[in-house]
Amino acid sequence: MQRNHRTRTKAVIAALLLAPVLALSGPTTARAAEGPRDVVQQTTDAVLAVLANKSLTADQKRTKIQDIVYDRFDFRTLSRLVLARNWRRLSHEQQNEFVQEFKQNLSTTYGRNVETYNNERAEITGDRKEPGGDWTVKTKIIRPNAADILVDYRLRQEDGVWKVIDVIIEGVSLVANYRSQFQEIVSNEGPAKLIQMLREKNAKGEPMKS
Amino acid sequence: MKALTRRALASVALVGWFCCASPVLAAPSGAAKHDPLEPMNRKIFWFNNQVDDYVLVPVATVWDKIMPKRVEKCLSNFFGNLRFPIVAGNGLLQGKFKQAGSDVGRFAVNTTVGLAGFFDPASGWGLEEHNEDFGQTLGYWGVGTGPYLVLPFLGPSNPRDTVGLAADSFSTVYPFFVEFEYLVAARGTDLINTRATLLQEVRQFKAASFDYYVAVRNAYIQRRKALIADRSGVSAQESEDLYTIQDDNGESEP
Repeated sequence: MQRNHRTRTKAVIAALLLAPVLALSGPTTARAAEGPRDVVQQTTDAVLAVLANKSLTADQKRTKIQDIVYDRFDFRTLSRLVLARNWRRLSHEQQNEFVQEFKQNLSTTYGRNVETYNNERAEITGDRKEPGGDWTVKTKIIRPNAADILVDYRLRQEDGVWKVIDVIIEGVSLVANYRSQFQEIVSNEGPAKLIQMLREKNAKGEPMKS
Repeated sequence: MKALTRRALASVALVGWFCCASPVLAAPSGAAKHDPLEPMNRKIFWFNNQVDDYVLVPVATVWDKIMPKRVEKCLSNFFGNLRFPIVAGNGLLQGKFKQAGSDVGRFAVNTTVGLAGFFDPASGWGLEEHNEDFGQTLGYWGVGTGPYLVLPFLGPSNPRDTVGLAADSFSTVYPFFVEFEYLVAARGTDLINTRATLLQEVRQFKAASFDYYVAVRNAYIQRRKALIADRSGVSAQESEDLYTIQDDNGESEP
């Protein structure tokens, strides 16, 4: 009993000492060779670790997750795909502003989920190469007291790094869904109006009460 | 009410059953070809959302406060199990014999070992849940959807899926066994419980959208296509349009 306990303590100390080393070596060495599947695996692992960490406040979790996700998503490409043909109707400054505000908007909207985390797990169920060279990684979110959710990530390689450019939840693509909404706003009221709407939405983007 | 699927992220599609509109935004002209009935649809969408906001959500919120999550899950297992004839039958109608066989096994296991369907041991034994209905069967055999349609109380649909809904409503287990009053009570419980499990998702989807009507319409159309093709992602032909970047000169680059 006593011995057992001591071995466990030793293992924990070893793990604690090793953790920073592993954390340091992760991003720099592994990065270049990472395939799309690794990117999704590491991102979901990292996000779930933050969510499960009871010593962090909701705000701390949000900030940490934001850092992880910002690093793994290509918001510029995502924005261009969402705006499609309308991208060209934006001036250079408007384009940059749109990317910034849209990124902020997604982060505020989905950052709210931090509060409702309830021991969900994620599992990669498959991956495939797409005709254009993109890669799709299929995952399943397993919830203890609710139905599973199928989430696909679409990744594109830019300068040797795979980044997420769309999230498809149960067959519904985020890019396609925002595109359908923005298309009508831009064609009826112009790009300035869309950016203004984004800005207003972000300004009152306090975390949602549940 | 019949198409209350248990898949929570059918919530995205389901959002529609409890829909809402931004009546402030006038019906845009650009979408006419996808949605020729938009002015009427928006009115019904607005009405459904009033019903949702003032009747369903308050009741479901109380329900959600009282019921432990585990009980909600058991109830949704139970009602999901009763959809067995629809799921297996429509699997058969699409020639998915292996899948329908697995559905029979699933129903047998969950009805017995799963104590009348309140528990779902079958999923753990490789007999996973499938999502089929007669609207999907029609789509599978190439029947077109017709125009997008918002049904009063029932939410997003189209003529094809409305026919499917009507056909499916004859084929759950319980109409054959129980009295009308119990049937109404069962349907009511299913509806409230399902709505309770989706409170968070719907609220978030609403908060995230810029034009909730358009967001729901798009989600419904995408979701139905994905279900008919039995895939979780985007189809190959849509993929090209969706993921090709238009460069500044209007030329497309891969």
